[in-house]
Amino acid sequence: MLNAIKEWADERWPLSSMAHLALSEEIVGGARFAYTLGSAILVAFTIQAVTGLVQLLFYVPTTDHAYNSISFMRTRVAFGWLVHGLHYWGAQLMIVLVVLHIVRVFLWGAYKKPRELTWCAGVALLLATMGFSFSGSPLHWDQRGFWIGEVSTSIAGTVPLLGDLMKQLIRGGEEMGQLALSRLFVLHVAVLPATLAALFGIHIIAVRRFGAAGPWDARERDRKGFFWPDQVFRDAVIGTLILVILVALAAFAPPAYTGMADPLDLSYIPKPEWNFLFLYESLKYFEGPLEPIGTVGVPTVLVAILLSLPFLDRNPERNPLRRPFIMAGALALGGLIVAMSIRGYMSPGFAEAPRTVPRGASVERSTQPGASAELPPWGGAEASEPSTGPPPESSRPSAASVTSRGIAAAGFPGKSAFVIGSAERGGGAFEKNCSSCHGPLGRGGVPNPGAEEGQIPALNPIDLALFHKEPRVFAENIDRYIQHGAIPSGPSPAIRMPAFGDSNTLSFQEIANVEAYILRLNGVDRAELLNPGVKPGSFFLVLACVYGIVALALGGAWSRRMKKEREGGQ
Amino acid sequence: MDEGFHAHDSRAETTRRGFFKAAIGILALMNGIALGIPFVSTLLGAAGRRTAEWSRLSELDSLTTGRPVEIKFVARSEDAYHHGEALRTVWVTRHSADSATVLSPVCTHLGCHYLWSSERERFECPCHASVFAPDGTVLYGPAPRPLDRLPSKVEDGILFVKWQRFKTGTREKIAV
Repeated sequence: MLNAIKEWADERWPLSSMAHLALSEEIVGGARFAYTLGSAILVAFTIQAVTGLVQLLFYVPTTDHAYNSISFMRTRVAFGWLVHGLHYWGAQLMIVLVVLHIVRVFLWGAYKKPRELTWCAGVALLLATMGFSFSGSPLHWDQRGFWIGEVSTSIAGTVPLLGDLMKQLIRGGEEMGQLALSRLFVLHVAVLPATLAALFGIHIIAVRRFGAAGPWDARERDRKGFFWPDQVFRDAVIGTLILVILVALAAFAPPAYTGMADPLDLSYIPKPEWNFLFLYESLKYFEGPLEPIGTVGVPTVLVAILLSLPFLDRNPERNPLRRPFIMAGALALGGLIVAMSIRGYMSPGFAEAPRTVPRGASVERSTQPGASAELPPWGGAEASEPSTGPPPESSRPSAASVTSRGIAAAGFPGKSAFVIGSAERGGGAFEKNCSSCHGPLGRGGVPNPGAEEGQIPALNPIDLALFHKEPRVFAENIDRYIQHGAIPSGPSPAIRMPAFGDSNTLSFQEIANVEAYILRLNGVDRAELLNPGVKPGSFFLVLACVYGIVALALGGAWSRRMKKEREGGQ
Repeated sequence: MDEGFHAHDSRAETTRRGFFKAAIGILALMNGIALGIPFVSTLLGAAGRRTAEWSRLSELDSLTTGRPVEIKFVARSEDAYHHGEALRTVWVTRHSADSATVLSPVCTHLGCHYLWSSERERFECPCHASVFAPDGTVLYGPAPRPLDRLPSKVEDGILFVKWQRFKTGTREKIAV
């Protein structure tokens, strides 16, 4: 049956000869696990492409909704956590694999004649991968991504003569805003994928034309192996391993919520992705007029070294032990990059002391990214004084009003209630703005003379009237108080709840972070997976069990075959 | 790994290749299923919508008894990651000082918005000519069920409604 289909197809399209072209490759010295890195990159990239495509069905590249669209997919779409987690960790793995692949090819001396162009296409692929990393992070439009985008596009601005032009080209203007996000988005989902596909074509055609370089030892080169199925089997094993590792990372180490992009939150110390840390560190050694050496010079020199390697090192010797100088040079350069990365990782950033916003400092809302175009969903920001008046009537939706311990919340939840904030970052803001009244960790106990209760309410544990096990409802309940403030009932309460939102004391992003923190104090995860499909831990467990059983079965079949072969050979 | 491999055991070579091919097939299939099932369920949609809230419609006294009127109101809306207010419209018929029916403006056939014909005193859908009586029952046309009533209540003479959508094209009224 299958053969009949194959014959039918072959008469109309060169199916068999294409398969033959793709698979029938002889491998000098035999198939090896060391040669699986290239295919591993292809596997990782395929995962990136598929998860990227699925994410495109949910993500929007707008400054006001990019962050929320990702949060929505992660918490409320079945397996959204898996799609996003695979893409996040797959991106990190891509870089690791590409670097390992380059190191492997370098050790084997496989960049030498006639494989110079294969090597150069490979270096270009490394740059494309770094480009994906550079353009991918800001798409979250979270604190981490926003600052990575801000700084890395500013770096382009330091290029002598053309800097300003380049920066404008990337950002679409002076500021890091909507136009920049659109450009980074198009770079990430259209320009770079097309570039990568073209480079990959050049790379793979060259690889197939000249074959694997094989072992440097002439005795080992006598042995011949085959790409199909020997090498493909090894590739499949490694590819499967990669998938299992990525699922484990997505399940047990989900990317952190760092809060929505907020240039006003000065307590955030921007740091680049780990793969750019060595460049970040090298910037610190070049100041003033020398700055372009760090920003542009260092990366340019590194790329130049990589590209020119096969043309400078023309010694045909491939055994690493007989190439002491080039090995020592590479080791020194690699060591320097690793050391700089570690230094960059350890460094506390430029702010040795944490920068703080003075309490009560007013925040100008219109300067926040994404905040300008949109009004708060409902309830006015018009009231800057705390008020306990009735909610706006008539055409407004009816306020299912919330009352806690005789303190009624006025108005509607603001947009902070719909943003999944960072509980970690919220802790800092809570300490600065909330704990003087609500007590450290919100445990309460602070007296409020003149109020009916006599004390400022504790937030940990919070009044049951405000508590809700569903994070969104919980956040909406407390958001009314944080946005609009409240006056405790009683003859003359000495302390009233300030309107942190309405008075622009905190940005809406900061309020979202504080809310995530208050939820955490009460045992509710603001980023809880409301619709996980299958819970991450269970999904991994099932996957691990099935894969484990199949691995055992394959291992058993293999050892039986080996035994038979041995018996047959005697 | 294949040391001691000689030409004479070409049968062993065949089984070895067979093993590799089978293993590649099994691994590819497993990986396809492991990712395929989650990705397809991702495409099937999101859950976790919040429950509808009561929205204030109108003072019941201001309506004429027995005559359907279209009333617009603002309700909190949620569309994936968009949260805000949306203008909604419903058809309200007042029966007495404390009762009224509220009809969803969506035709139960394929989701068009129907119109009120004051000449013929009936609801007419402009898309596929379904015709409904003022109480929502189907008079003619392809509509599979009467117009959908929305949950409503009267408090202190004021009519409240819960905005909801229902599946179109089904005999039963199923909330979405």
